[in-house]
Amino acid sequence: MKVMVCLKQVPHQDARLDVNADGTWIQDGNIKFEINSYDTYALEEALKIKDAGEADVVVVSIGPDRVTQALRTALGMGADRAIHVKDDDADLSDTLGCAKILAAIAKEENPDIVFTGFMSDDGNFSAVAPMLAELLDLPSATGVLSVEVGDSLKCERELEGGALEVVELPKPCLAAIQTGANQVRYASLKGIMQAKKKPVDVKTMADLGVSDAGAGAVKAKIEKVYVPPKGDSAEILSGSTDEIVGQLVTKIKELGVL
Amino acid sequence: MISFKLTEEQEMVRDAMREFAEQAITPIARDCDEASSIPADYIDTTWELGLVSAQIPEEFGGAGERSAITTAIVLEELGAGDAALAIAAMAPSAFVNAIIDQGTDAQKAQYLPAFCGDKFHTASLAAIEPHAMADPANPRAVAEEKEDRFVLSGRKSFVLFGDRASEFLVLARNGSEVDAFIVPRDAEGLTISEPELNMGMKGLTTNTLDLERVEVPAANRLGGDQGCDVRRILDASRVALAAIMTGMSRQVLEFCIPYAKERVAFDEPISKKQSIAFRMSDMHIDTEGMRWLTWKAASQVEQGLDATKAASFARSYAAEKTMWIADNGVQILGGHGFIREYPVEMWFRAARTISVLEGTVSA
Ligand SMILES: Cc1cc2nc3c(=O)[nH]c(=O)nc-3n(C[C@H](O)[C@H](O)[C@H](O)COP(=O)(O)OP(=O)(O)OC[C@H]3O[C@@H](n4cnc5c(N)ncnc54)[C@H](O)[C@@H]3O)c2cc1C
Ligand SMILES: Cc1cc2nc3c(=O)[nH]c(=O)nc-3n(C[C@H](O)[C@H](O)[C@H](O)COP(=O)(O)OP(=O)(O)OC[C@H]3O[C@@H](n4cnc5c(N)ncnc54)[C@H](O)[C@@H]3O)c2cc1C
Repeated sequence: MKVMVCLKQVPHQDARLDVNADGTWIQDGNIKFEINSYDTYALEEALKIKDAGEADVVVVSIGPDRVTQALRTALGMGADRAIHVKDDDADLSDTLGCAKILAAIAKEENPDIVFTGFMSDDGNFSAVAPMLAELLDLPSATGVLSVEVGDSLKCERELEGGALEVVELPKPCLAAIQTGANQVRYASLKGIMQAKKKPVDVKTMADLGVSDAGAGAVKAKIEKVYVPPKGDSAEILSGSTDEIVGQLVTKIKELGVL
Repeated sequence: MISFKLTEEQEMVRDAMREFAEQAITPIARDCDEASSIPADYIDTTWELGLVSAQIPEEFGGAGERSAITTAIVLEELGAGDAALAIAAMAPSAFVNAIIDQGTDAQKAQYLPAFCGDKFHTASLAAIEPHAMADPANPRAVAEEKEDRFVLSGRKSFVLFGDRASEFLVLARNGSEVDAFIVPRDAEGLTISEPELNMGMKGLTTNTLDLERVEVPAANRLGGDQGCDVRRILDASRVALAAIMTGMSRQVLEFCIPYAKERVAFDEPISKKQSIAFRMSDMHIDTEGMRWLTWKAASQVEQGLDATKAASFARSYAAEKTMWIADNGVQILGGHGFIREYPVEMWFRAARTISVLEGTVSA
């Protein structure tokens, strides 16, 4: 069995995010990155399948040089191989572009199962997974909390209000994993040391025969990234609780909102 | 050129260990100290990290990647989570490293594979002795050669995980030399005490060993007929302790900085008071200093150079400064410093304890 896991590297949750000079993205030159949290759960699902029997786990990421570290970490956790799409133009793709590139890899790899995260911590599109499934013509499920592998993939999905839904996907198929789906293992020291002996294939869009992704194919162009300006109309009341309540009532009356 | 830049792999190791320490060590440290024990599932989880097996040659089931500097990085991160739990996680490595470095082929084949299995397995260094002016490199324990055997007598204290170690590497005087002998826990004449009652790092179990004419085959002498250089065993362990202490010091500092910024006294955060600000800068400088001394010693160990002096410098500086930093941690927290709701009193006890391990600062 072959399992492909799509990993995106995103700014570390503790990283300080500043908008770049031309206001199109964040300044990402000097910050720490980590594997998208959703994708760590997706990887763990794949590694659980590997632990339970025979599975070849291939991790795939589109991104610049720094992405090697995310891939090496995944190899250190137990993945067998990595594919790094390193191509400046690929990095400028929109969601459909990303999905097309990942689809080209899936077509070469022919996995039985594709796992992705439910969404990215930074972009929040939740779009790549269903697009990828469509491009590959695979049955898919999103928001998946647990999977059971047999002849098919039984997925438990999270619905509104704490309800769960069970769907059964014939293989090959795709599941976009929700956070909290499992207990993600730690990268082991031994695993990290062994990871450097595992193969990382580096590819460009041209290698994959993809011409309709990248900057030129973008349909939704990012116009502007900015931090909304802080309002200056907030007034902080001080004093004892009774005094504050008194001031608040006076204000409300003054403003005529009641 | 001298560069302090980590390799990409070392950065990954540091990040992975930092994450582990934050998620799996710090949250349980207080409970372990209060309960004077470490939960089995912590030991199992650390075992899965392959901290020990990473260093064992591939032919015996390990990853065959040894770097004293990388180990120092690992230990600093784990130590910044909790010193006792860091030592527990790396418990077998003093024994394992001695076998890798100085064991005969037969000793490697006999002992190393057990440390690459799925289940926690440990063996300990028995170096320290419970008498005044004890110097681990000059033990009072003796080994007498008797035909094809050695007969060991003496007493060892602070032996880590004496309650569960399968073997002990006992340092003993052998004529004019000092040697190390592998003693199985069920050897006749070996008595393992109840756990010692320690001031700090209480989660760790340490025991006293009494060796009363314990006989081991000549093949159990580390390095066989050649014997070994016990200084190398002690050097590695001193570098390890210095690395853990660097982590401990960083932990105290990282706790004090936000505390001092938030704690308001006399109308301003105490971090604005020079007496606190200067103190914290000194804590920072000393922590950096111990890291560089540790890495220098580790680098000498890694290159196979004589590291005895460098390792002693690192350990001795780290021991003194860690105590000072932990003491200041208590001071900066004032009244909060000595109540058990805050961790600094635990770190203070741990610093006091770790500083005495393997020779007092004054020795
Ligand atoms: C410099 C820059 C310029 C950009 N310009 C544009 C633009 O002009 N228009 C636009 O629409 N978007 C743009 N983007 C955003 C980019 O398109 C999104 O990152 C991408 O569409 C994926 O969306 P998402 O990250 O929200 O993924 P989601 O759809 O939320 O991700 C779901 C899952 O898809 C997989 N996945 C996502 N990205 C990758 C990846 N890189 N490698 C492997 N797997 C992945 C992961 O499994 C992830 O969990 C830009 C980004 C950057 C950094
Ligand atoms: C009784 C029942 C049975 C179902 N059976 C199946 C099944 O067998 N297999 C399966 O895959 N799914 C099944 N579904 C799920 C159903 O296919 C989804 O509700 C649908 O795919 C839309 O997905 P979503 O609600 O998550 O909306 P999203 O796609 O997340 O919705 C995003 C947006 O799309 C628009 N949108 C979505 N649905 C509609 C709509 N109906 N009308 C207008 N706009 C809409 C809205 O603007 C909405 O805000 C079932 C749902 C129900 C209620």
